[in-house]
Amino acid sequence: MINKLKQKLLSDFNDIQVNIPEDNRMIVNTKKESLLSLLSYLKNMGFNHFAMLSCVDWIDENEFELIYILSAYPENDEQYQDIEKKNIILKTRISREKAKFITIIDIFENAEPYEREIHEMFGIHFEGHPRLTPLMLERDYKIPPFRKDFDTNKYVENTFGKVPSIKERKEGKK
Amino acid sequence: MDRNKISKWLKNPGKMANKYSFHVVYFCTGCGIIEIPPSITTRWDAERFGIIPVATPRQANLFLITGYVSTKTLAAIIRTYEQMPEPKYTVAFGSCPINGGMYYDSYNTITSLDKYIPVDGYIAGCMPRPEAIFIGVTHLWKLIDMDKADGYKRYREDYVHYRANQEQILGELDWPPLFSKENL
Repeated sequence: MINKLKQKLLSDFNDIQVNIPEDNRMIVNTKKESLLSLLSYLKNMGFNHFAMLSCVDWIDENEFELIYILSAYPENDEQYQDIEKKNIILKTRISREKAKFITIIDIFENAEPYEREIHEMFGIHFEGHPRLTPLMLERDYKIPPFRKDFDTNKYVENTFGKVPSIKERKEGKK
Repeated sequence: MDRNKISKWLKNPGKMANKYSFHVVYFCTGCGIIEIPPSITTRWDAERFGIIPVATPRQANLFLITGYVSTKTLAAIIRTYEQMPEPKYTVAFGSCPINGGMYYDSYNTITSLDKYIPVDGYIAGCMPRPEAIFIGVTHLWKLIDMDKADGYKRYREDYVHYRANQEQILGELDWPPLFSKENL
């Protein structure tokens, strides 16, 4: 079944590369322009569960890779056998300087917290997102902390390392 | 009961009462909280040592900090610690509260806890077994006997410095100081 799907995708879309590393997993590398149409296409085919949105920072290639993982909720038994436990992984790359992409909330509503998290951790702006407010972090970071050029050792030295111990503080006050 | 010990106890009944009735805050910080349910239930039965978990910090006098402390948790820890009535004791688990442990380079985990609240004892390990918790508690008894578990006194004395350290990391704290100059 997954080979059929591969051929169907390849005939319907240009500029995509499809790999099948395992029986139940398909990786689709696509350009950022055709990602939204691919997502809605796959949603109509039955892959209606948006499992996760993730991000990778390829600093040497000066690109961010966004990873969308889809799987299926079975609606009837017949369909279940066809697309049982199949995961589709969509990968697309955006430039690192202009870290901007379009939100997919219109297609999958549950992408909202994932996009908020990636906005917070990687600093990618999702256009059309209703609230890109901080989700988990409380402190301000000059560089978002999951980017590769965020130097954790230096950051720890400058913030937590610079807090004096109580003994040092007492001696300093005296 | 050992009759020879009665005279010893009667010298300082307050200490004896503190020692044998630890009421623990059931506060989940980090990964070590998973060691607490087996320790307090039938298998290791912490009640043999007089340890019992309570619902709120206002009824507790022992604070077990079980694992790494993120900056967000630190605010909750300080609020919890300040609500506990005196005398109160703090025991930190594992290597993370000592120097950060495996989170030494984390962007969001504080590296040493005793800069922000006083810690009476550390139990090393990642994570310590329940047996180690009981050894730690019996060690705390000795410290109380020798008047060395004086974290709450240090907190009262050096409150200005502790508060300054807390504000350095957390920014403006949204609760008033526990000790002002009048009630010190």
